[in-house]
Amino acid sequence: MDKISALMDGELDERQARQELARLRQQRELRESWDTFHLIGDALRGDALLSANLKRRVSERLAQEPIVMAPRRRAARKIVTYALSAAASISAVALVGWVAISTSTVSTQPEIARAPAPAAILPAPAPQMASVPSEGSMNEYLLAHQGFSPSTAIQGVAPYIRSVSVSQPAKNR
Amino acid sequence: MKAVWPVVLLGLSAAHFALADSGDAREGLTWLRKMASASNQINYSGTFVYQHRGLSETSRIVHYANPAGGVFEKLETLDGPAREVIRSNDQVTCYLPSSKTVIIEQRNARLLPALMPERLTGITENYAVKTGPRDRVAGHECQVVTLEPKDSLRYGRHFCVEVRSGLPLRVRTFGEKNETVESFAFTQLMVGGSFNRDKVKSKYAARSQKWRVDRSALNVSERPADSGWVINNQPAGFKKLMEVRRMVSGRADSVAQIVFSDGIAAVSVFIESMPKERQGQTLTHQGAVSIYTRSVADHMVTVLGEAPAATVMQIANSLELRTNAAAKQ
Repeated sequence: MDKISALMDGELDERQARQELARLRQQRELRESWDTFHLIGDALRGDALLSANLKRRVSERLAQEPIVMAPRRRAARKIVTYALSAAASISAVALVGWVAISTSTVSTQPEIARAPAPAAILPAPAPQMASVPSEGSMNEYLLAHQGFSPSTAIQGVAPYIRSVSVSQPAKNR
Repeated sequence: MKAVWPVVLLGLSAAHFALADSGDAREGLTWLRKMASASNQINYSGTFVYQHRGLSETSRIVHYANPAGGVFEKLETLDGPAREVIRSNDQVTCYLPSSKTVIIEQRNARLLPALMPERLTGITENYAVKTGPRDRVAGHECQVVTLEPKDSLRYGRHFCVEVRSGLPLRVRTFGEKNETVESFAFTQLMVGGSFNRDKVKSKYAARSQKWRVDRSALNVSERPADSGWVINNQPAGFKKLMEVRRMVSGRADSVAQIVFSDGIAAVSVFIESMPKERQGQTLTHQGAVSIYTRSVADHMVTVLGEAPAATVMQIANSLELRTNAAAKQ
């Protein structure tokens, strides 16, 4: 959990951040705390975008609860508790936000200044392509490219080894 | 008034450092220039090791240059399956005996951009040129010259330039964390020797008569052309060198090729009509060359060059068919 806040604050190095984001993608609870942390961040910044989304998702989830269709006593109590806790957490966050902003605007300044950091990390979960060794299907293009590279002007024919390198067995095409 | 002096002194010493730095850069550029002209003027033969991401291969190389500007070269692999690359001026022929294949690449010399040393100014804009200590490679004394990239869009280069001839005895391409992406290093080198046609002939020249020969790139229909494609987000420091429509081995139809360079690295964009087998996007590499393919507007786009994957992908992902060009087609 503390790693998530570190990730949000941009305190993790690239490798740790990647691990954390991978964990985030796999584990639902973690994603929820990520959302909650952002909600707090949003509240602090007075940005209603993400929080509106989260509130909508919470109410959607509540609407989906099948228990509503089977109004047995125990179940009914469960949903009330759940609704309450959800409402409580939203208001608690709002409270935290409100308290934080109203009590000391000066001390929250650094927090706000640091807030954009997660935004810089956020694009990372976008599908990252892994580069794999070429299988040789691009040999002809590689060959067609090399003559135009300044490296070839410097090194002569040597860089052409790439076009016939053994890591890419020549294909019969 | 007194307070001004430290500032002035500081300014002077800063200027001094700047001068020292540019002096270093100037010296480095002189070595680069020497290196660039060496490959067009000097005869040599030797053995070099090519290393890339944990793999290593040894090859023989013979290089002749005549005063008329003709260049004849032969590259012959010594490890694994035999392969040869013969270059005679603007024609490059690859002999692949294991698959009994010959691939021919022909360039239109008139279209060849002046790569070096005229473009050295581009190098100082994108790289910090530094000279290092003297070193020794394959028994020859050489001068270390380093090109440190000014951003993450390009790889760095380390050269060790033979002091007398100017030949690059060792060329190392390195990434952001100084990790080696690719390296060439001579293990044996003989400078000089007179032109000998037999030494730059393929030993498969006769046998390959019966092999499958791809001559499609020989139709030099290569001509400057406006392909109608534009790069909206050109990586900083890369300038367009040329744009042609040409034939490439293995492709039945002509292909558009656009070449960008930052003075030392080059990236080529190839655009062809969508093959029958539609492919998704792929990212591969061959040594320091990143290769990225994707489809754009019913075309197959291949972008490759001696640059980090992000640079090659940035070019590919910002490629667009101009609307007026689309209307023409």
